[in-house]
Amino acid sequence: MTAIEFEKVHFSYQNGGSMATDGDIFSSDAAFSLNGIDLTVQEGEFVAVLGHNGSGKSTLARLTNGLLSPDSGKITVLGLDATDEKNLFEIRRQVGIVFQNPDNQTVASIVEDDVAFGPENVGVPREEIGARIDFALAAVGMENYRHATTSRLSGGQKQRIAIAGVLALKPKIMILDESTAMLDPRGRKEVIDVVLKLNKEEKITVVLITHFTDEALLADRAIVMNHGEIVMQGKPEEVLKREEELEKCSLTLPRPLQICRRLRAVGVEVSDSLTPENLAAQIVSVMEKTPVTLPALWNTDEKNEEQQAAEGLQEETGRVECRNLRYTYNPASPFATHALKGVDLEIKSGDFFGIIGHTGSGKSTFVQHLNALIKLPTAEKKYKPKKKKAGSQEETIVLKVDGFDLTQKTTDFKELRKKVGMVFQYPEYQLFAETVFEDVAFGLKNFTEELTETEIEQAVKEAIEIVGLRYDEVKNRSPFELSGGQKRRVAIAGVIVTKPEILVLDEPAAGLDPLGKEEIMRLLHTLHENWCKTVIIVSHDMDEIAENCTRGAIFSEGKILAVGSPKELFEKTEIEKAGLDLPFAAKLTNALRALGVEIETDFKTRNLIAALEKRIKTGGAGMRLSPKGGANHA
Amino acid sequence: MREVSFGQYYPANSFVHKCDPRLKLLFLIGYIVAVFLAQNFYALAACAALFVLVAAFSGVKFSSLLRSVKAIVFLLVFTALLNLFFHSGEKVIFSWWIIRITEEAVYFTVFLAVRLFLLVLSSAVLTLTTTPVALTDGIESLLKPLKYIRFPVHELALIMSIALRFIPILTDETARIMNAQKARGADFETGGLIKRVKAVIPVLIPLLISAFRRADELGDAMDARCYSGSKIRTKYKKLTFGWRDLIAALLLAALFAGIILLRIYTPAII
Repeated sequence: MTAIEFEKVHFSYQNGGSMATDGDIFSSDAAFSLNGIDLTVQEGEFVAVLGHNGSGKSTLARLTNGLLSPDSGKITVLGLDATDEKNLFEIRRQVGIVFQNPDNQTVASIVEDDVAFGPENVGVPREEIGARIDFALAAVGMENYRHATTSRLSGGQKQRIAIAGVLALKPKIMILDESTAMLDPRGRKEVIDVVLKLNKEEKITVVLITHFTDEALLADRAIVMNHGEIVMQGKPEEVLKREEELEKCSLTLPRPLQICRRLRAVGVEVSDSLTPENLAAQIVSVMEKTPVTLPALWNTDEKNEEQQAAEGLQEETGRVECRNLRYTYNPASPFATHALKGVDLEIKSGDFFGIIGHTGSGKSTFVQHLNALIKLPTAEKKYKPKKKKAGSQEETIVLKVDGFDLTQKTTDFKELRKKVGMVFQYPEYQLFAETVFEDVAFGLKNFTEELTETEIEQAVKEAIEIVGLRYDEVKNRSPFELSGGQKRRVAIAGVIVTKPEILVLDEPAAGLDPLGKEEIMRLLHTLHENWCKTVIIVSHDMDEIAENCTRGAIFSEGKILAVGSPKELFEKTEIEKAGLDLPFAAKLTNALRALGVEIETDFKTRNLIAALEKRIKTGGAGMRLSPKGGANHA
Repeated sequence: MREVSFGQYYPANSFVHKCDPRLKLLFLIGYIVAVFLAQNFYALAACAALFVLVAAFSGVKFSSLLRSVKAIVFLLVFTALLNLFFHSGEKVIFSWWIIRITEEAVYFTVFLAVRLFLLVLSSAVLTLTTTPVALTDGIESLLKPLKYIRFPVHELALIMSIALRFIPILTDETARIMNAQKARGADFETGGLIKRVKAVIPVLIPLLISAFRRADELGDAMDARCYSGSKIRTKYKKLTFGWRDLIAALLLAALFAGIILLRIYTPAII
């Protein structure tokens, strides 16, 4: 039986009259329309819908259960006409939607009350609601959290509760509308595992709307949307290979396939493969076949990083030095949490530094210390130095940022904040002014009062242009009219306008589609080269760190697990100890090593490919250290 | 991530914590009436004794209880002084210039102070041992009869519980936006009134926009989960009175009986 059927469905927000959009009531309307969608989803199927932000994929979800109604066309859900008002109640009972923001879909403060909300609404008798809560919580693996407070759960747990809340209605279809976009990798995995299980075991039809290609690969079928139309559909492995078409839709290839393409581009003939093991086996077999005659074509563009680092060490501007940093939220209360338990870290001037760790590992608390948003107790105005007891050996805290000593209350904190720019997660949510110009100028005016109008205009113009926007086009527009990516750029411009020496960004790419992510990372490199000495990013995305950073640190439970270049970081086992994923390049290297091929690499894709090319074109199979992997492709 | 303890709930697993929130609400009301009915120190002592008993079984540290009195210390001292100096009486025990302190005034002052103390402390026991959620449930249940005069009890309760749920989220969000603007040089701590009001705008606007966005999304999520506020709606959680509640009710009844007897057989001082 067909679960969902769309026939020539048209929808436009102007005509629809609804303001509800992709989670942002101020987004431009036209972007989310649908133009003649034909779509059939079979019962029990697992369909992934991919598309850039604003491609209309969320509209699809809302049309399915009548949160929106189409301008024209026919929508049938489990045999019921979804455009008929009378069927809505029944359809909503059968079609559960899990939304993007875990905080905005929980009704009650206690887990079981929230799960009970749906069944209560449809009048399930009291005794049965208890059984449904048991079932739903067990299905998402949260049975031990029945009496927990919802606001204290992690993002992944909150989304699992949201899924349980939907499951308690016993739906036949479940739609996940970018439900993993705001989660960290651990949370994403939790949610995806649950969804897979529900699809396999409970036979629930799943429509997964996402822009993570690795999630789409798990589906039976992938659908790609662009500007309100379905442009591709088919087996995910097939669809996700079509690079040019994907690019047209502002999507990117899954990272493993990117590496395959780049290997082929340098003459290493491998076919597309998704797992590091498979790819490694192919590379090894290529190595064995290649005669050792070709001249070397590569060029090493590696700078002498050690020398660079030594320079950075001597310079005070743009440098962070931190020793024994500790911090506790709500000290001396039942809710006390030790966020930092003695952090020692040095970030050198000129670093593009990556901070990695799970939510709650203390990384956000750490970066908030850098521009004294969290002040050390000794720097508070009220602080009175205690007399040290004779013989007590308390370790002294050291925190120096850009030459400022943050342990002293005499430090000029305003000047510090000017020199240390901080871009928070989802910075577009802090925009407030009437025009882009005013918003960007806000920080500048706060920090330097004696600037003339022309000086301000000059600085704002420069800042807006370096983030890649056209000054004349946007300066007088309301920041709320801009698209999501543009808003983020404006928010970044509003921080860098004071030319900080150190720029700290908390998950700068969060929530963006793949192309948006790449653009933001490019922007950060531009800023690092021309604008700010040191760039520090907090990220969950290992590939992002491996590809972009000169050095990085792994945070885990309030401590630092490892510090160093990506090469040093991903070589160690600490990453896996902290439950974090490795970048694909590192997985591939490990798989190659398992087959006996020792590769010297810093885990940047570019350099790994160069190293492989070099190895194949000079050494070939002769360089293999052990014959372990031979049997695999003999 | 950050935990904001609103209300002032003190997590524990005591006798009082386990009582039905409805009983606790009614108990508090009854207790307040009893305290007002008390006319002399014997009656007040009976009230105080019951309070000590409840406090002892509440599992709340005495220091936490006292903290709730802190807020009214000024009021307490101020009214005490007024009473001390201006309450009329016969037996003068101290006189200097225009100040006359009488024995009656001393009794009266102490009596009022103790009464005020008991009122504040007993209310504190309620908020310390009952989660805001349970309180809302209790209030909803107690207001149920009002449904018959078309008072929207259920809607009111839902609004209250959603508001409670969003308090920690919005507090977090406010802190985040304030931090973001502070990082851009905003100054919330210095300057005159007008400057401070102006400084709030960059926080208030994003906060409002975010609150509207959240409301919008929550509305969709509720719709998607079949919320229609219709009559077929059932309720999962049912409050039930237990043996603890019976004991508490009996104690309160005993207090009332005692106070009424004391009213009849002992002289009043107010």
